[in-house]
Amino acid sequence: MSAIQEIIEDSGGPVIRWGLLLLCLAVVGYALTNANWHTIRGLDFSAVWIYRGALFNGLLVTLGLTLIAAAFGILAGTVLAVLSQSPVGPVRWLVAGYVEVVRDTPLMVQLLWIHFALPIITGYNTTPVESGMLAIALHAGAYFTEVVRAGIQSVPHGQWDAAYALGLPMWTRWTRVILPPALRIVLPPLASLTISFFKGTAILSVLQIGELMSVAGRISNATFRPVEIFSFVALVYLIIGYAFSRLAGRLERYMARSEGRAS
Amino acid sequence: MTFDFLILRQHFPEMLSGVVTTVRITALSLVLGSFGGVVLCFGKLAGKGIGHVVSRFVIDFFRTIPEFVLIFWVYSCLPLLMTLRLSSEASAILALSLYSAAYLAEILRAGILSVDRGQLEASLSLGIPTATIWVRVIVPPAVRRMSPAIISFLSELVKVTALLSAISVAEITYQADILGGQTFAFLEFLTAAGALYFVIIFPLSMAARYSEHRLHRQGVR
Repeated sequence: MSAIQEIIEDSGGPVIRWGLLLLCLAVVGYALTNANWHTIRGLDFSAVWIYRGALFNGLLVTLGLTLIAAAFGILAGTVLAVLSQSPVGPVRWLVAGYVEVVRDTPLMVQLLWIHFALPIITGYNTTPVESGMLAIALHAGAYFTEVVRAGIQSVPHGQWDAAYALGLPMWTRWTRVILPPALRIVLPPLASLTISFFKGTAILSVLQIGELMSVAGRISNATFRPVEIFSFVALVYLIIGYAFSRLAGRLERYMARSEGRAS
Repeated sequence: MTFDFLILRQHFPEMLSGVVTTVRITALSLVLGSFGGVVLCFGKLAGKGIGHVVSRFVIDFFRTIPEFVLIFWVYSCLPLLMTLRLSSEASAILALSLYSAAYLAEILRAGILSVDRGQLEASLSLGIPTATIWVRVIVPPAVRRMSPAIISFLSELVKVTALLSAISVAEITYQADILGGQTFAFLEFLTAAGALYFVIIFPLSMAARYSEHRLHRQGVR
């Protein structure tokens, strides 16, 4: 038994456990006494089965958008993170400005801005799908930049000095010396960011771009079965999200172990 | 393309009421979520029994489900399953409190577990009362180490409140969207909304960065 567990046990472990049990019973009891049995008895999940094809397509679109966000994010994030180390001031400021503006405003606002306000400036009307892809790609780019930048800064100073001392050209210095260990370190945070973009794609449903959540909205409008459809969709998100995060956790442990072996 | 500042000035009260709603919902969910977070955190730390299993399940559940889906489900499905009437703002606060509770529980747990084991064992073997151990040995370093994560979570929570516009809670995004639709001045109102969020979140992200920086300088790791 570790020290912290002993301390928790001493400061009222049984009280915490019994208290939690009571709390659980209270919540379940409240839910049971206030449940609307009439609706619950009338639940009919056949709508899910009837529209399985549409739901599956929606899921594919969701996964595709996640992939776009991750691919563009890694690419743009790496390039911008390298640029953020540039000796030219304005380049650094531009990158920092982009990252700060995107990270400090909600994806929802960016999405609406790109769909409704950007066409006023550019004069080109984007379709909802284009706006959605643009929004999530830009969003991902900023978050990945920040993560890769942290990775670059974690590369020991000696390796920079060694690359300079050997007179390696800039391209070789980045691709052979700095980026490989930097990207290796940031692999676990990149994986958890990708999971948060998977969750973020649900937001794009406000533009009805045909991913899982907007498909669910359309089916529930057609069948008047919101509880069945949305609960099923929530379950799908949960299962896939949980599987992803377990994989990411395994990756993190694997990296930590191989890191320990290397040093 | 012209940027019409006049129309923003004209509709300043509506946007201001949006800011007030956003801040109110964030504050309420943060307070309720902190209570839930403390309960869940100790439930998970207590180690065994049904409370531990339930806490773990609840934490994983609300951390995994997309925020948008959670908000939408609480708003549109929960009232149908229960004999319960929730206003859109009440269901928003319920959903965001559950969301915050799960995230805060993990942050608190990480903070408590980050306390040096040797110090805990030393204070146990010195026979210091557990209450004193909590106040003097565990809480000070845990709070220092948690503060960057808690501040970034707060800015995350403000960003999540923007999703509430989808269930017509009259916060910043909703007001900007509605006013834009009424006046066709989408550019002005949505830019103003983005600027308002930036004004709220930028200081938070600066504070998070500062407290993280201070942590590293102190060499507390």
